[in-house]
Amino acid sequence: MTRAPRLGWLSAILFALAIVYLYPLFLVVINSFKGFAEIMANVIALPSAPTLDNFANAFKRMEYPRLFLNTLIATLVGTTGVVLLSSVAGHKLSRTKTRLSWIVFIFLVAPMMIPFHSFMIGLVKVAKSLHLTNSVWGLGVLYWGLGVPLATFMFHGFVKTIPTELDESAIIDGCGPLRKFFLVIFPLLKPVTVSVIVLNAMWMWNDFLLPLLVLSGNKQAMTLQLAAYNFFGQYKVEWNYAMAGVLLTLLPAIVFYLALQRQIIEGMVAGAVKS
Amino acid sequence: MTVLGKRIARGVEFAALTLPAVAAIVVVVMVPFGMSVVNSFMKWNGLDKKPVFIGLANYVELFTDDPNLIAALIFTLFFTVAMVVLTNVIALLLALALNQPLRGRNLLRAAFYVPNIISLIVIGYIWRFIFSKGFDSMYAATGFAPLNLSWLGDPKLAFASTVFVSVWQAVGFYLVIYIAGLQTIPYDIVEAATLDGAGPIRRFFDVTLPLLMPSVTVAVFYSLSNALKTFDVIFSLTYGGPGTATTSIALDIYKTAFSDSRFGYGMAKSVVLFLLILVVGLLQIGFFKKREVES
Repeated sequence: MTRAPRLGWLSAILFALAIVYLYPLFLVVINSFKGFAEIMANVIALPSAPTLDNFANAFKRMEYPRLFLNTLIATLVGTTGVVLLSSVAGHKLSRTKTRLSWIVFIFLVAPMMIPFHSFMIGLVKVAKSLHLTNSVWGLGVLYWGLGVPLATFMFHGFVKTIPTELDESAIIDGCGPLRKFFLVIFPLLKPVTVSVIVLNAMWMWNDFLLPLLVLSGNKQAMTLQLAAYNFFGQYKVEWNYAMAGVLLTLLPAIVFYLALQRQIIEGMVAGAVKS
Repeated sequence: MTVLGKRIARGVEFAALTLPAVAAIVVVVMVPFGMSVVNSFMKWNGLDKKPVFIGLANYVELFTDDPNLIAALIFTLFFTVAMVVLTNVIALLLALALNQPLRGRNLLRAAFYVPNIISLIVIGYIWRFIFSKGFDSMYAATGFAPLNLSWLGDPKLAFASTVFVSVWQAVGFYLVIYIAGLQTIPYDIVEAATLDGAGPIRRFFDVTLPLLMPSVTVAVFYSLSNALKTFDVIFSLTYGGPGTATTSIALDIYKTAFSDSRFGYGMAKSVVLFLLILVVGLLQIGFFKKREVES
C-alpha cells in the first residue's frame, strides 16, 4: 500500500487513543504489585518495590485452583451440551421440510427475544426443584437451555449451505441417524461449531448473575466471577488483594483470547450478524 | 417396511433428535417464563406460603404506586438512548479509521477489543477503583478539576459514569461488527464516487453509510437490547446508587425479588421488561430494514 505513509498521523493519533483507552487496565496491573499503604498513597506511580504477595494471598484466599476448576466445569458442561443439542436439532430441523419442523424451529429460537431477567426468578425456583442449584454441574446444565436458541439458529442456517447428497450417501451405507450425524455431518459443520463454542465459552466463563442466583448456598461451588464479587463486596475493600484477585480472574479469558483471537472475533461477528 | 412403518420410524427419529433441545428450552426458559406470567397476578413471598391470586393488583401498583420502578424506567430509557448513540457513533468512527491502510492496524483493533473480553462484573469493580482511588491520585498529580468530582456519589455524575463505563466496555464489539461490514463494501463503488468528485464526507453519507445499513441494523439492535437489559456493570459499579439514581429495570427486578422477597411483584416487573424489549426490538427492526439498500 503506497498510501500508508500518508496516514502516519492517523496511526499516531489512534495509538495515543489506544493507550489512554487501556490506561485503567494498566493501573490495575501496576497496583496489583503494590502494598495496601502504597496504593492509598499513590495509584498512578509505578510500584517502588514490586511484590507478588498480593497474588499469593489472593490465590490462597479465593482458593483459586478450585474456583478455576469450578468455572471450567460449568463452562465445559454448558458449552458441550449446547453444541450437541443444537447441532443435532439444528441439522434435523433444517433437513426436514414439514410444518411441524418449522414450528419446532420457531419454538427453539424464539427465546432469543426473551430477556434473561424476565424469567430468572422462575428459573431459580425450577432449578431448586430439579436439584440443579448449588452445584457447578447443575449450573452447566442450566446453560443448555440458555444457549440452545442462538446456537440452533446458527447451525440451522449453516446446514442449508451443505449439499443434501452428503446426508443421502450416508443412508446408503446403512448408518443409524446419530452415527451418520457424527461421522458425516458434524465434521462439515466445523466453522459454525467453532463460532458456537467461542461465543458460549466466553459468555459462560464471564457470566455473573446466574451463578450468583443458583450457587449462593454453597461456598464449595463458587465461580471466579463470584470470587471477584466477594473481594469487592466487602465494606472495606483491600485494594491490593482485590487488584490481584481481579487479574487472576481475568487471566484465563485473556489467554483464551490471545490464543484464539481470530476465531473469537469471527465467532462474535457470526453470532451477531446471523441473528 | 410398510409405508406406515416408515412414517413412524421417521417420526421417532425426528423426535429423538429434536426433543432434547426442546426439553432444555421448556425447562430453562418456557416453564420459568410461564411462572413469571402466572405469578405476576399473585401475591407471593417465594417462601413456604402459597401464592394468592390478586388479579391485576401488581400491575396497578407497578404503574401508580412504585417510585422505584418509575425511576428505573426513566434511568433505563436515558441510559439506553445515550448508550446506543455513543457506542454506535464511536465504534463507527473508529471502524472507519481502522479500515484505512494503517501501520499497526491489527494491533490497534485488538487493543480496542480488550475490554470486551473482561467480564462485566469485573469491569464495574475496576472502574470503581479508578473513579475513587485512581482519580484521587490523578487529581493530586495534575490539579485537573473534573478529576476531583464525586463521579459515583453524585446522582447526575453517577449516571454519566455508568454510561461511560458501559460504552468503554462495549465499543470493541461494535467496532468489530462495523469493520466486518465495511470490508464487504466493494472498493470500486467508493472509487467511482471519488472520480465523480465526491469529497470524503459526501462519500460517507451517500455511498458508505447506505451500504453499511445492514451492519447498522445489527449493531443498533444489539446495543439497544443490551442497554435495556443492563445489569452487571451497574451491580458492581454503583449497585444502583446513589439512592436509586442508577437502578436499571433489571436491577430493580433483582432487588424486588431477592432483597425484598416479593416474588409475585418482581415477576410482574419481569413481564413489563419483556414487553418493553419486544416492542422496542420490533419497532427498531421495522424502522431500519426499510433503510437498507442493495449494493
